[in-house]
Amino acid sequence: MKITNGKDFWAGMMFVAFGLGFVWKAQDYAMGTSVRMGPAYFPTVLGGLLAVLGAAVLFRAFVTKIENPLHVFPFKIWRLVAGLALGAVAYYTQPGNAAGILLDTGHALIAGLAVGLMFAAFGERSLWVILFSVVIFGYVLKPLGLVAATVLLVFVSAWGGHEFKWKEVTILSVSLAIFAVLAFVKGLGLPMNVWPGIWE
Amino acid sequence: MESLFSNLALGFGVALSIQNLLYCLLGVLLGTLIGVLPGIGPVATIAMLLPVTFTLNPTSALIMLAGIYYGAQYGGSTTAILVNIPGESSSVVTCLDGYQMARQGRAGPALGIAAIGSFFAGCVATVIIALFAPPLAEVALKFGPAEYFSLMVLGLVAATVLAHGSLVKAIAMVLLGLLLGLVGTDVNSGVARFSFGVSELSDGIGFVSVAMGVFGFAEIIANLEQKEKREIFTKKVSNLLPSLQDFKDSWASILRGTALGSFLGILPGGGALLASFAAYTLEKKISWNSAQFGKGAIQGVAAPESANNAGAQTSFIPLLTLGIPSNPVMALMIGAMMIQGIAPGPQVMTERPQLFWGMIASMWVGNLMLVVLNLPMIGMWIKLLMVPYRILYPSILVFCCIGVYSISNSPFDVMQTAAFGVVGYVFVKLECEPAPLILGFILGPLMEENLRRAMLLSRGDALVFFQRPISLTMLIIAGVLLAIVLAPAVRKKREEAFVEA
Repeated sequence: MKITNGKDFWAGMMFVAFGLGFVWKAQDYAMGTSVRMGPAYFPTVLGGLLAVLGAAVLFRAFVTKIENPLHVFPFKIWRLVAGLALGAVAYYTQPGNAAGILLDTGHALIAGLAVGLMFAAFGERSLWVILFSVVIFGYVLKPLGLVAATVLLVFVSAWGGHEFKWKEVTILSVSLAIFAVLAFVKGLGLPMNVWPGIWE
Repeated sequence: MESLFSNLALGFGVALSIQNLLYCLLGVLLGTLIGVLPGIGPVATIAMLLPVTFTLNPTSALIMLAGIYYGAQYGGSTTAILVNIPGESSSVVTCLDGYQMARQGRAGPALGIAAIGSFFAGCVATVIIALFAPPLAEVALKFGPAEYFSLMVLGLVAATVLAHGSLVKAIAMVLLGLLLGLVGTDVNSGVARFSFGVSELSDGIGFVSVAMGVFGFAEIIANLEQKEKREIFTKKVSNLLPSLQDFKDSWASILRGTALGSFLGILPGGGALLASFAAYTLEKKISWNSAQFGKGAIQGVAAPESANNAGAQTSFIPLLTLGIPSNPVMALMIGAMMIQGIAPGPQVMTERPQLFWGMIASMWVGNLMLVVLNLPMIGMWIKLLMVPYRILYPSILVFCCIGVYSISNSPFDVMQTAAFGVVGYVFVKLECEPAPLILGFILGPLMEENLRRAMLLSRGDALVFFQRPISLTMLIIAGVLLAIVLAPAVRKKREEAFVEA
């Protein structure tokens, strides 16, 4: 047996894994009867169907004439392992509500890095740089404020593209930060810090 | 008929208030903007604006969001004609002849006929909605849980049949979407399902996160993997009005495009995208000028551009009357209604006539704004096209992130969206179409609820779905659809059609 279509192979694996995962997890809840369905009933049926269809896709991967390499995207296992390890560290060192801004920021950085590494496991620079910039934004918005978060987001995400021009990116980040503050905080009244928490 | 006029009068009264006019204008301008810009579509834009609409009143919010969808159909054609890149996925086919016309120095008439065709289609579609929505809503009011369940099955089946690529994968994506939609607290038992102890997940996975991650972020990443390459015809745009000969050549195509688009928009799974493809294919088959297709035939611009606008608008019919979304944009509109505390369904028309008719009337107003504003403003849109993608995408990201963050003011939603960005990227790489997933996601809880109720009422007899005539009819249609697509001959044709597209 040889895998002809790598894309179908992985898609099939994904569907089977999700299907079985949902069925397995649903067994924690009450099944009920067909008259009075419990919370487990519908997910079990759907998960089972998904696993069956996944198996069909998987089977097709072996018999189809469409050829795709098994190596669909560059998957880097060590990044995933490092990300998971850092994530575990971040999970067990969560600072309390009374923690100072330094501790908060430090923890946010570790957690963010962990998530970034997990994304990076899926290869392709544009993917993980973009998503990493988004995660950074999410984490620093509260402690550092909207201006800093926007500037960071623009700089990091711009680095994920083909060209990076310092001057252009600087101008872009500053103007976007100004616009974001004017439109979202002043205009729409979203409750967000504009500047780092210590200043206010 | 008289009630139609009084209803429309009510609608125009709502739509013509200063506030709603402003939001309509904002919506169509924003729609045109993102339509012109390749790499961001109405799905990502509406997802981005959903949290913001919370601060508006429901009518203004929906008027604005609707404007984004049909406004994008106008904008998309500009990019297709001038740059040969579809600004909007529904204007892919417009590139074929529109760009050729631009190369022959006829960019002006191409843009003009696209706008005029769109306007005509928009007017017709508005009337169709006003005519057909009320009777459909009356019928839908009589639906019991069994009918609703079967209707959703039909809708989902239709969505998979019309999805690109493999049918089995599309169905699997629907199932995955349904399952993801079930994450969160079960309304009947109060059990937090599949939340893994994460308190944020007990409210369910955020719809905005899924839509923006899978469509918005994944699209940016996919765009970044390709190199930029654009050739823009800017200097040659003059004399936007098509000649009398152009009108003579294309009026029939506009009519056919509008008719086909309106019909395909109503179908579950339909909308602007399907409408434009079908209209182009039909036109190529039956037009007297078919030999010129692909070489700059004006019919090849007029028909799909009319059809996509008609389809964009009539796809509101199933949403407004049945509460069932036919495409991802409509799924987002349901999200917008739920944010406002409105349960989508046939009762919207009777309980909130101002919202219902105001929105319909606003579509005509919006179309008028688009045609009046866009033709003179085309120079500005062209300038926007010169903005390189390396400037655009960080800006898009900033708005997306602020939008997502503001849903609950916590990093969690941002993280969740980024995670769905990875998921969406994996889907793209594995050739799994995400649109069926989104539909499944929004319908998951509804479907379970109706299944439970139907089974409770029938005392556990699953035959109830086959004994009630309306329910049976819908299941039969769904079955026939599946059977047709699975038939070997059609299957081959369908795959070829999508390859060509």
